[in-house]
Amino acid sequence: MSARSRNAIALAAAILVVVLALPHLLKPYYLGLTSKMLIFALFAMSLDLILGYVGLASLGHAAFFGVGAYTAGLLLLRAGVGNAIAFPAALVASTAIGAGIGLLALRARGSYLLMITFALAQVVWSIAFGWRSLTNGDDGMPGIPRPNFGWSLDNTTGFFYFVVIVVAIAALLLAMMVRSPFGLALRGIRESESRMQALGYNIWRYKFVAFVLASSFAGLAGVLYAYYNHFVGPEYLSVIQSAEALIMVILGGAGTLIGPAIGAAVIVFLEDFISSMSERWTLILGVIYVLVVLFAPRGLIGLFDDFRTRRARP
Amino acid sequence: MIWVIHTLNGISFGMLLFLMAAGLSLIYGLMKILNLTHGSYYLVGGYIGLTVMRLTGSFLLAIVAAIFVVALIGAAMERFFLRRFHLDELPQTLLTFGFLLIFGDLCLWIWGGDPIMIPKPSILAQSVPLGDYVFPLYRLFLIAVGLVVAAGLWWFQQRTRFGTMLRAGVDDVEIARALGINVSLLFTLIFALGATLAALGGVLAAPILSLYPGADFEVLILAFVVVIVGGLGSLRGALVGGLLIGLLDNFGKAFFPQFALFTVFVPMAFILSIRPTGLFGSR
Amino acid sequence: MTKSGKRKFDGAAARNTKRRPSFRTILPALAAAALALGSPASVQAADPIKIGILLPLSGVFAANGQEALVGMKMYFDEIGNEAAGHKLELIIEDEQGKPDVAVTKARKLVERDGAQMLTGIVSSGVALAVSAFSKESKVPMIIAADGGVTELTVPGPLTNPYLVRTSQNGRTPSAVGADWAYKKQGWRKVSVIASDYAGGVDTIAEFVRNFCTLGGKAVQEQFPPLGTSDFGPFLTNVDRSVDAVVIFEPGADGLRFGQQYSELGLKAKLPLLDVYGQTVYEPNLPQLGDAALGVFSSLHYAAMIKTPENERFVAAFRKLTGKMPSDNGPDGYVGAHAIADAIKAVDGHLDDTMKFMAALKAVKFPSPKGDIALDSYGQVIQSIYIRKVEKVGGENANVPVADYHNIDQFWPGTVADYQSYEYKTTALKGSMTDCAKMTARN
Repeated sequence: MSARSRNAIALAAAILVVVLALPHLLKPYYLGLTSKMLIFALFAMSLDLILGYVGLASLGHAAFFGVGAYTAGLLLLRAGVGNAIAFPAALVASTAIGAGIGLLALRARGSYLLMITFALAQVVWSIAFGWRSLTNGDDGMPGIPRPNFGWSLDNTTGFFYFVVIVVAIAALLLAMMVRSPFGLALRGIRESESRMQALGYNIWRYKFVAFVLASSFAGLAGVLYAYYNHFVGPEYLSVIQSAEALIMVILGGAGTLIGPAIGAAVIVFLEDFISSMSERWTLILGVIYVLVVLFAPRGLIGLFDDFRTRRARP
Repeated sequence: MIWVIHTLNGISFGMLLFLMAAGLSLIYGLMKILNLTHGSYYLVGGYIGLTVMRLTGSFLLAIVAAIFVVALIGAAMERFFLRRFHLDELPQTLLTFGFLLIFGDLCLWIWGGDPIMIPKPSILAQSVPLGDYVFPLYRLFLIAVGLVVAAGLWWFQQRTRFGTMLRAGVDDVEIARALGINVSLLFTLIFALGATLAALGGVLAAPILSLYPGADFEVLILAFVVVIVGGLGSLRGALVGGLLIGLLDNFGKAFFPQFALFTVFVPMAFILSIRPTGLFGSR
Repeated sequence: MTKSGKRKFDGAAARNTKRRPSFRTILPALAAAALALGSPASVQAADPIKIGILLPLSGVFAANGQEALVGMKMYFDEIGNEAAGHKLELIIEDEQGKPDVAVTKARKLVERDGAQMLTGIVSSGVALAVSAFSKESKVPMIIAADGGVTELTVPGPLTNPYLVRTSQNGRTPSAVGADWAYKKQGWRKVSVIASDYAGGVDTIAEFVRNFCTLGGKAVQEQFPPLGTSDFGPFLTNVDRSVDAVVIFEPGADGLRFGQQYSELGLKAKLPLLDVYGQTVYEPNLPQLGDAALGVFSSLHYAAMIKTPENERFVAAFRKLTGKMPSDNGPDGYVGAHAIADAIKAVDGHLDDTMKFMAALKAVKFPSPKGDIALDSYGQVIQSIYIRKVEKVGGENANVPVADYHNIDQFWPGTVADYQSYEYKTTALKGSMTDCAKMTARN
């Protein structure tokens, strides 16, 4: 067995031990917060797929997050179906919206893409907010039940394990995707579209597929969040939520998958922790972001990489 | 006559939108920076104008003070923070977002959470009779100011040496630099000018829209919409986009109140589908 | 007014227990303990009762949250932060007006900080989300600041046996407003304008439904979206032949509306009834100036209520903040009072949650807002005032011109009446001019 595979297995084993031990080490509140961190890590990773790997900046990613959550909520609360149907349906819905928005938006580039995705996401938000008879408008829909596999997810530990499993599988899929030839092509497109085109790649098709995949994973994160809160509201679809996702990716380090996951965990934790410490938490958070940009412009992962290379030099 | 009122309302709101969007567009056109702190310049400008108005009772002084202070803030932000991330979008986004949060909370801390309006200067505080209706003089004033600012910016861009340097920089920064134009100074000055326009918008809008926590985000979104429709980097686009959205919004709400929420986003989506770069955008 | 008081105490105690006991460490520990236990009379260490306060201290509802907090603290300070021999520990969290954050903070208060009850709450979305949490975790919830979504205390799917609400609910100012409009003012035809969101539609629909039942009619309805800066199109559209205009416009929208109503010449022509008093909200009055004079509103409070309780409260509030209270401050004050009374009624024993809930529902006391009691569903029974903006001592203020007392959540009908309507109020946008549909029963 090569050293690399041995290292990978050791790492996986270590992670498994940590995951199993956490419910015994952390108070229920912090375990719940960890679940929230994992959910947003997934959300951020899904955005990284298009932002970090293809170079597509989207300010509407929350649309897929929210559509996943709302679809689950609507089916569970209004149509009375169980999670066996609602869960997959939510993924289908967010993927469909992803395809729709992708078709309309992907002709644009750079700041124009940012604005178009923002615009289309706002339309989705307006529907959720305005179609009160369906979605309850801004009051949101409380009472969303979690799935029941025989082992109840209504306690913090049970739900934590569920989230760990789902997010781990999703993260694994994403990691496999970015290492595959498909992922390499995406990176090629980010580096130079003209070169890839000259090599015969159908640029638009690759962008579209990446976009749609990203929307599915975002939708998955959205459903998990709806379960976490037992609730869905129009804020899930807001431009603020989309901007937060963008910030998580940038803070962590775009194009690394693990960076955005860490960025998401850090931001979820900081927001929770600082807002309990001080009324001026928004100010403090803003200062932290500015400091991160000044000292770690490639994000936290970039900082880690710099630190490693500096230590490697004699 | 009611059509005249709706039209005037639409144009006056459109002028406010133009002021809010012009700065964003100007900064993007030259430096390719999408400045999220733009909303803060509007809010901080408005609040400073409010304080000066309360202290001195002079609307003119309020405007001057707001413009001056925010121009300094803008210049400082560009010179000390944004400059090192030239053309690097992701750090710029995080940086300007961080400042948006900082300024927003400072405003909440200093001026509190209740919505506040700057009192209109007494000469402008009356209403003009128009047929069966009355129309506030202040809104006519806004239309006038908007036209003056638009004309001033056009003159500046087309007829001054500085404006020529700006247009050169927008076209091609490298060549501009090669021609001996002090591009760094240009960047700082234009950034300050963009911030100034936002601050002016803040002070002028405050007597009608009021100032409150969250207004910075709302203005940013509105400015985005105008710039999307008008085209990034085009002052003409900001004006036309602003007027278009202002009129559409007004007439939409007057005649299709059921869809009041959509009267801004639907035209935007429509224009995007036929012209992705906006009405006057380049590329 | 900072919440760091709690943190400092925790830190001191923790640091002291880690070092080896010596004279220098025991003395500060004793001092800290003495401070914690309050007056020398109660040196026996009864466990403090932890009250979790969820309020928006940032975001759009910051002003409401901050004022409610002032009101709550005012009452708790008045009773020495102590009830039934237990110290009352207030743990405050900023829920930012967002339901998902509120649920996270609620969990934090209950699971991490050991809060034995949750209170505060301004927005309806937050109220609904936290109520679901309270029901699931069996934690008492006392909506004190606002959270007026009617369904929470009406028999139905949202009912929560662990919930009481001492603030108000969406329909009472509307119902009373309609009664006063029809009977006292003789209005028969109105034009209604309300902010286009769940709370707005609900509130104005309740007005129209009650007005229709009495024999009146809304001939026009308009719903400006939240955040409308320019009410021009809506105001220009108002049918000038009506008797009055009835509105519900919250926050900054209310401020703008009030100004534009006057500027566009409507105030000179048509009386204005502001259900809920959002346009004539106290912080708006100095800014609106004479544009607000003569505007009517219906609300469960008025700073000018002439009772000894209220005059004392307003004087103390003004001394603390330099401002006149709106409804949030008194609501916070009353919520704190209800909590304290209930704690005393169960003698500080909160383990029997249902007994505590019963004690909460049994509270009865006079307050700055008037006499307070709760119905069997946990909703407050209080007074609703019709106010008019008039000059009082050189300033504009909301002066009560009509008082309605003992108004419960279903007034003027019963719970059966309320439940017999065919359509939910939030679904009636677009049908307000159709009295038959508004009052249709099944």
